[in-house]
Amino acid sequence: MASSSSVKRLFQFIVNNIISFILIPITVFAAVEINRLGVDGIIAIWNSVNLNSVQILTTVFIVVIIATVYFMSKPRSVYLVDYSCYKPPVTCRVPFSTFMEHSRLILKDNPKSVDFQMRILERSGLGEETCLPPAIHYIPPMPTMEAARGEAEEVIFSSMDALMKKTGIRPKDIDILIVNCSLFSPTPSLSAMVVNKYKLRSNIRSFNLSGMGCSAGLISIDLARDLLQAHPNSYALVISTEIITPNYYKGSERAMLLPNCLFRMGAAAILLSNKRQDSRRAKYKLVHVVRTHKGADDKAYKCVYEQEDPQGKVGINLSKDLMIIAGEALKSNITTIGPLVLPASEQLLFLITLIGRRIINPKWKPYIPDFKQAVEHFCIHAGGRAVIDELQKSLQLSAEHVEASRMTLHRFGNTSSSSLWYELAYIEAKGRMKRGNRVWQIAFGSGFKCNSAVWKCNRTIKTPIEDSPWKDCIERYPVFIPEVVKL
Amino acid sequence: MELIMLAICIWTLLFSFYHFCKKRDQCCYLLHYECHKPSDDRKLNTELSGSIVARNLNLGHLEYKFMLRAIVNSGIGEDSYGPRNIIDGRENSHSLEDGILEMDEFFKDTLSQLFVKTKVSPKEIDLLVVNVSLLSCAPSLASRIINMYQMRDDVKSYNLSGMGCSASIISINIVSNFFKSHRNSMALVVTSESIAPNWYSGNDKSMMLTNCLFRSGGCTMLLTNKPAMKNRSKLQLKCLVRTHLGASDEAYTCGMQKEDSQGILGFYLDKNLPKTAKRAFTQNIAIIAKTCLSYTELLRYFVMKYSKKKATLNFKAGIDHFCMHPGGTAVIEEIRKGLGLNHEDVEPSKMSLHRFGNTSASSLWYVLGYMEAQKRMKKGDKLWMIGFGSGFKCNSCVWEVIRDLEDANVWEDVIKNEKEEVNPFMDRFSWINQDTYDPPPGSLFQKKM
Repeated sequence: MASSSSVKRLFQFIVNNIISFILIPITVFAAVEINRLGVDGIIAIWNSVNLNSVQILTTVFIVVIIATVYFMSKPRSVYLVDYSCYKPPVTCRVPFSTFMEHSRLILKDNPKSVDFQMRILERSGLGEETCLPPAIHYIPPMPTMEAARGEAEEVIFSSMDALMKKTGIRPKDIDILIVNCSLFSPTPSLSAMVVNKYKLRSNIRSFNLSGMGCSAGLISIDLARDLLQAHPNSYALVISTEIITPNYYKGSERAMLLPNCLFRMGAAAILLSNKRQDSRRAKYKLVHVVRTHKGADDKAYKCVYEQEDPQGKVGINLSKDLMIIAGEALKSNITTIGPLVLPASEQLLFLITLIGRRIINPKWKPYIPDFKQAVEHFCIHAGGRAVIDELQKSLQLSAEHVEASRMTLHRFGNTSSSSLWYELAYIEAKGRMKRGNRVWQIAFGSGFKCNSAVWKCNRTIKTPIEDSPWKDCIERYPVFIPEVVKL
Repeated sequence: MELIMLAICIWTLLFSFYHFCKKRDQCCYLLHYECHKPSDDRKLNTELSGSIVARNLNLGHLEYKFMLRAIVNSGIGEDSYGPRNIIDGRENSHSLEDGILEMDEFFKDTLSQLFVKTKVSPKEIDLLVVNVSLLSCAPSLASRIINMYQMRDDVKSYNLSGMGCSASIISINIVSNFFKSHRNSMALVVTSESIAPNWYSGNDKSMMLTNCLFRSGGCTMLLTNKPAMKNRSKLQLKCLVRTHLGASDEAYTCGMQKEDSQGILGFYLDKNLPKTAKRAFTQNIAIIAKTCLSYTELLRYFVMKYSKKKATLNFKAGIDHFCMHPGGTAVIEEIRKGLGLNHEDVEPSKMSLHRFGNTSASSLWYVLGYMEAQKRMKKGDKLWMIGFGSGFKCNSCVWEVIRDLEDANVWEDVIKNEKEEVNPFMDRFSWINQDTYDPPPGSLFQKKM
């Protein structure tokens, strides 16, 4: 076993550095030759080549043309200057005891549903410090539009204030604003609410994405990237959140009670830039964004579905096939992003096994590329324990790779589109983010979508981080999360 | 020396050629658009409108009169469309399914026709943008369309919501930005408004106007930046300007979804809305005039201004057709006066308001459809689309007509019958404008109409 892994490592070393292996002997040989000839020998060779001015000019001209075309068609680099995650106040905490007490009082006519919620909570992987907005703490919950707007203002404005303080950016500097919140979409939009509060410029390009599920954060990043290609020298502010207040399911259908147990309050504000001066201070550089939409398949489309229960109460129905569909969506996504991020050795092995299976013998085992070679850190959307388990298995990741996801689920719950940013903050708070490290963010969402983004760390992030949502609890983590927490 | 000069010249030529090709690949062409014409059993005529108003038991006499007055003076005719649940009498017990059903009917009607007429397959779509302000469901409406039409799994979709009546221009903005970094692409824009779950059943007067003005409708558009499809396209996007007055509290709150004093959800329209619209519009004009008016006109304007004479911009010097959001007769009139236009210039907006009502974000496309059906759009004409929306936003764009357009589309029956524009409510309810009786506050109006 040990010998085969060392053979594999040698193979990887050779293939990944093949260009160096070719160039180094050539350079050494050239250096030896130059040394042997001496300066006079070189001048003699140059004179014997007999190039006239036209030929020199043509060569220079062609080089200039190629350089111009290359620089003109290169896409603009998109940098993540900094981001800020919302840390809910302690007063919004929902420990298991509070949640179950509320559940027993609200669902007193449905003890089976109460039991169901308790079983879900025991196995959920959530901790005792996750938070719900104030309106949901009432018995029964009071989800008015005003309360929903209040929650939106609290989470979004806090994150934005923290981000502006961290980056030193002024409201008037923001050129592009994208807000994504899946299940709450008032008119005027949340983006208009941000423009109003911070008095942003009247020529701002604002967009409000809605209904796009837990992967909407990466969809917003993709939109920001496209916009930054068309607008040079600009700042784009992306706000990812999920407003819980209007979406608490008030009925008793079991499949629809699941989101109540998992979704919690959270928000993240991210500042992107394509300005050259930010290439130094930015934390990350965006390398790839790949989006996969499985909506054409009916089963995938219906697996996360908002509908009314027999009593007319609106909630989100999660199908039992969710994990299988997530696995398939992930496979499609990987097929596209694999060639972009995997090192040459993995791609070569995959190609060899593919050719082998097609031509030589179909019984050869398919080679699953080792994605741990592609990136150093993984941020898997903390959708639920089952999602993280499934992805750990399919991508063959170690416990440390999925630690950020599990701990975010434990401390903050499923905060939907902003969870990826809490996970990134965890990795930074642990001091694991070094310059040159790559991070792969994977998120799933209703539709069924699987979106990925790969970032490259621009500068080593030193701990302790001043404004991190993990500031006061990072020493306690990682915690051991048992399979079942007996309530 | 000459060789170097020659090299520089050739380099400049090649550079300009490359730049030209790049710009050409970034152009945004409107291939085709389909407006939604719901089935005739969804028409909201005078009889039905009156009875819907009357059956709202929350209304007192004053509110009833107010609502009736608003309908009579709205400028909406006999043939606008409403969602099924309101026509069936279930306006107060709407469900999520009613909202989705309204959208499904719209998708099936327009998208199938759009794909057939343009001979484009749904699998060729690279970008899908959907905007429906008042309905947000999971999975999104964009996912719903992808599922219905079996689009590719690498299609980029965006679902905009809450962006008001000017959202279709915002969707076009996303498409034109996408075309700048992706060559040879096709984009589908779907714009509509959800009326079914948004009927206001309370009695706050400032929230009842939406019941009187908004009607069902929608439009789907196919856009491309493939140079080969330019000859088949109808319009080319020249410029797009967005103005957001959200920084001002007065502008932000003038059109807002909120609960009234009794906790009933509705859409509040402030009295100052036309004034805010005018302010937003002025700011927007200041930017777009520079790009779309001819230099002679701009020069004339500046000369007049600096010589301290009364200077007004003559927009007809650069624009041939004005496509205004038919938000209501007050808004249309306000803009008409602001731009110095005559009644013929705003006739398409008034006709659209009369025939289809205010269909929110898609209404601009009905106005465009009218102009096309009347065969007014000739090659080389410039068209200015102006939309307003809550936030408060004013978004406008200028299109150039690529070829003579003559598709009668959803206006076919109107053009054929050459109906006179009459206000059908005047016959039955014209007494409301002369009615001066005001009962003591608190008394309920029981009489059936």
